[in-house]
Amino acid sequence: MELQDILFIFCALVSLAGTVILLSQRNAVYALLGLLLAFLGSAGIFQALDAPFVAVSQVLIYAGALAVLFLFVLMFTDTRTSEDRKGLPRAVGSRANFDPAEFDAQTKKKRRKEGELPSALQAALDSIVLPKPLALVVALGFLLCFSFAIFKLPAQYDEFGPLPENYATGLYLPADEGAAPGTPATERVVEYGTTEAVSFTIFEGFPLAFEFVSLLIFAAVLGAVLLARRHLAPTPKAPEAGASAGHGAGHAGH
Amino acid sequence: MLAMLDPKTVLFLAAVLFSAGLYGVLSRSNLIMVLMSLELMLNAVNIALVAFSRHWAGQGNSVLGAHSGQFFTLMVMAVAAAEVGIGLAIIVAVYRRRNTADSEAASELRH
Repeated sequence: MELQDILFIFCALVSLAGTVILLSQRNAVYALLGLLLAFLGSAGIFQALDAPFVAVSQVLIYAGALAVLFLFVLMFTDTRTSEDRKGLPRAVGSRANFDPAEFDAQTKKKRRKEGELPSALQAALDSIVLPKPLALVVALGFLLCFSFAIFKLPAQYDEFGPLPENYATGLYLPADEGAAPGTPATERVVEYGTTEAVSFTIFEGFPLAFEFVSLLIFAAVLGAVLLARRHLAPTPKAPEAGASAGHGAGHAGH
Repeated sequence: MLAMLDPKTVLFLAAVLFSAGLYGVLSRSNLIMVLMSLELMLNAVNIALVAFSRHWAGQGNSVLGAHSGQFFTLMVMAVAAAEVGIGLAIIVAVYRRRNTADSEAASELRH
């Protein structure tokens, strides 16, 4: 077994563990940590597949920026739904201040009511979500279809071919200052997966798509700012007669 | 021993991660959890794309042909970042209006 095989197996296991945490945890912050684990494992898989630039981008964009964005929203809003609140004491479930004494008393009361020993197993069972059968059936059906398609792949997919030493780019370096006149210019070569090779692909192969993605991100930023503005909050009914009369005149044509 | 790092194994791992993300999207009612599972699905697609890129590099393609999978991975990352920005903004807007992030509360796109 080579080093890349070991890296791949380890990172695949990390990814799968993170996925299990993401799907099973009731608490959204723990689930986010599982997602982070899955992203970091994927970055290791990219590295094992000789794509170091994509691996670094994965850590920077997914594990860095997106995870922080998720964490900000989780911290700014109480996004727990009724299914997430199950198993949490009421003082934590509502948005009341957290009081350790009350938390302790409520936990004891709840345990006495349930009439069972406080066990680590019970606490662990309370913190995970039970599987939903219909969703499980659909997901396993998809997995079955994918597995069938992968099984039917032709034999050239049985193993990765050897990587070429380097790629010719058709670009030439300028000749050195002190070189004798008439020296042929050296062609610029790139190795597979390096930043040079990926940037050559972007700017020589698909520059228009690159520009359109920058436009897309610009539009997304504008849309996000517009959507999250505070005026979308429910407006209190204005008691002033003057204000409503002014609005009424404007809306009279409706 | 059979090498683990072959295209079929990597594609199968991507399929498992994609199905797990699909299960999360279908089973959770918390909108944030749905968005996180969606990210997992996009990430699984990225793994498959990088595996195909590595496969075609091993088949002796030119520099553009060998790297277009990695280029497409970067595009997917950019689109995913835009999607998360918009999605989280929508979740914050829904939360402000309904005081919950349950997907049942957002079944209608009006006030």
